[in-house]
Formats: sequence, C-alpha cells, structure tokens
Amino acid sequence: MLNRLWGEKEVRILILGLDGAGKTTILYRMQLGEVISTIPTIGFNMETVTYKNIKFQVWDLGGQTSIRPYWRCYYANTDAVIYVVDSCDRDRMSTSKEELMGMLEEEELRDSVLLVFANKQDMPGAMSEVEVTEALGLSALRNRTWTIYKTSAVKGQGLTEGLDWLVDIISQNKA
Amino acid sequence: MYTLFSGLYAHMTQKEEYNVIILGLDNAGKTTLLEQVKQVYLGVRALPPEKITPTVGMNIGKVVVNRSRINLWDLGGQDALRTLWDKYYDECHGIVFVIDSMDHMRLEQCRETFEQIVMNDSAEGVPVLMLANKQDAEGAMRVEEIKEVFNRIALQLGARDSRVLPISALHGEGVQDAVEWLVLRMQRNKEDRPPVFRQA
Repeated sequence: MLNRLWGEKEVRILILGLDGAGKTTILYRMQLGEVISTIPTIGFNMETVTYKNIKFQVWDLGGQTSIRPYWRCYYANTDAVIYVVDSCDRDRMSTSKEELMGMLEEEELRDSVLLVFANKQDMPGAMSEVEVTEALGLSALRNRTWTIYKTSAVKGQGLTEGLDWLVDIISQNKA
Repeated sequence: MYTLFSGLYAHMTQKEEYNVIILGLDNAGKTTLLEQVKQVYLGVRALPPEKITPTVGMNIGKVVVNRSRINLWDLGGQDALRTLWDKYYDECHGIVFVIDSMDHMRLEQCRETFEQIVMNDSAEGVPVLMLANKQDAEGAMRVEEIKEVFNRIALQLGARDSRVLPISALHGEGVQDAVEWLVLRMQRNKEDRPPVFRQA
C-alpha cells in the first residue's frame, strides 16, 4: 500500500542556472547515467527520471540572457529548484546571484526547496562550496531549506548525494 | 469606528515571531533536534536518523509555541561552514548551541566555538541555550560536567539568559522543556530584541 502510494508520487523539478553551467549535462546524467554532448539549450528539455521510487519531472530551461525571462512560465507547482553554477566562472558569479535571488522572490516558488550544484569541480580553480555560498549570498535566505553540493556532471560526482537529499526532503514534505 | 475595530482586531490576531538559530559542531545532532521539534509541535514524522546527512546550508522549521511563531534555522556545523554563522546573528532572537555529550575529545573545541558566538556583538544579549545532547547514549557526559567547562566563560555571558539542559534529540526527552525555556526567555527579552509582528 505504502509502496503503491510512493510509486505514484510525481515531483516537479526545475534545473536553472546561467548558460554553460552544465544543466543539460546534469539532466541526462540523471536520466541516462551517461554523459552526452550537448548544445546550448534554446527553450527547454523535459525528461522524466525515476529515482528511488520517486518520479521526477525535470525541466531544464535554457540559460542564455534572452531566455531567462521565460523561466517564470515554469514556476507553478515546482517542488524543488536545482540551481547549477559553473564554479570556475568567477566573473559571472554576481550575475548568477542576481538571477537566483530574483527567481526566489517569486511567490510561486515560495515553498520549493533549493539544491545548488557547484558544478565543474573537475576543473582547476573551481570555487569551494563555501566560496560559492558566499558569492551567491545564500546565507541571506531565511525562509527556505537549501543545500549546496560540489559536483562534476561530466564525471558524475556529487549528483547522487544531491538527489538523495532531495528525495528525503520531498518524501517528508509530501508524506 | 471601523478603522478602530479593524485595528483592534488586527492587533489581537497578530502574532509575535522569533528567530532561533541552531548551532554547534558537526555531528552534534542539530538536524535531529530540529526534526524532533517538528515532530513534537507539528505532528509530522521526524526524518529517521539514518536519513539525516551532514547539513551544508540550512534546514528550516516553523512552529507555534506559547502563542508565538518560532522560526528555527538549523545551520551546518562543519569547520568551514562556521564562518557563515555570523550572517544570522543580527536577525536572531535566541541561540541554541547543541553539544555532543559523547564527544569528550572536542568539548574544549565546543567551548571555544561557543565563546566566539557569545562574544559576537550582533548577538549581544540574546538568550542562549546549551543542550547536552545524546543523553540516551551510554557514556554520555552529564550536564554537570559540561556546565563546568562553560562556567569558565560565564563572564562573557554577562546578564543574558543562559542555561544548560540535557536532551536526547533522538528520543525526544527534554526537547519540549528546552523549547519552552527558550521561548519564554525570548519573550522576556523582547524589549531588547523586538520580535517581528505578523498577521496570523
């Protein structure tokens, strides 16, 4: 009975972040467990991923400046936001912060949890999770459960840890 | 007349809101405590301990105690993450410092960490509650032993409310007493640290 209920659970997740952060690579890592070569996303990719009995409907939205205003069209009923940053792109960390904070002010995302992936940890000079936390100003968040993981989407590191965290939080919230 | 009554109504229905930060070294049991508080006051099933991973970031809990809204902010305790704590002192009305009573080796580090918290100007005068956690475990240090270590910094505590209480975050013993102690002290301290008023 319990298993049946769990099996039916569907969770809506958005993967957001600036262009080139690695969102699409993460999506297909999650779905296929392998790295595919991606091209910049114009519009979105949507895939359903089943992980630990929970069905994730994952939306990966294009990150280029011209497309970001359309992110808001997808906010309704979102359980969690996975925000991906390129940990080596120090120059655009402040832009990434602005986009994130602007997004979290939206009423429709009020109850969604936040999982940040400090991606591209396989590259030299990648910022640590504390550095990314400070650069994104995550400590200013007061009404939201959030976490940050160091990831390398191409090597597959850190992703399952992040997803496990999501599964636990979401299964509690939806229980 | 309407304005008067609606104003009165608004006044009567508004709730005081207090923010509590839950601090302590890694593996002290901060998130387990938060989960237990949510279980006691909200009736939600606590996340089983084996599912609790080290916090990097923040877990939140919102409960109502004694007619006040309490926001609980559970922060990561690992060494590198402690530098982030001071971002929260300005807005907190109470501090909970969780101690792993099994961790004899790091009691001194606990004291140093705690000392830094109480010396921070932004949190001056805020009531602090130390919780000697894991009292259910065999070999746990008793409250008296822990108190002794913290008595050495009594001077820094000044006139603020402070206390050490034993708990088992895992089983829930002492958790309700601890929460109620802190809520009462925050309410009494509201001249110094006014709560946020919010419509119920």
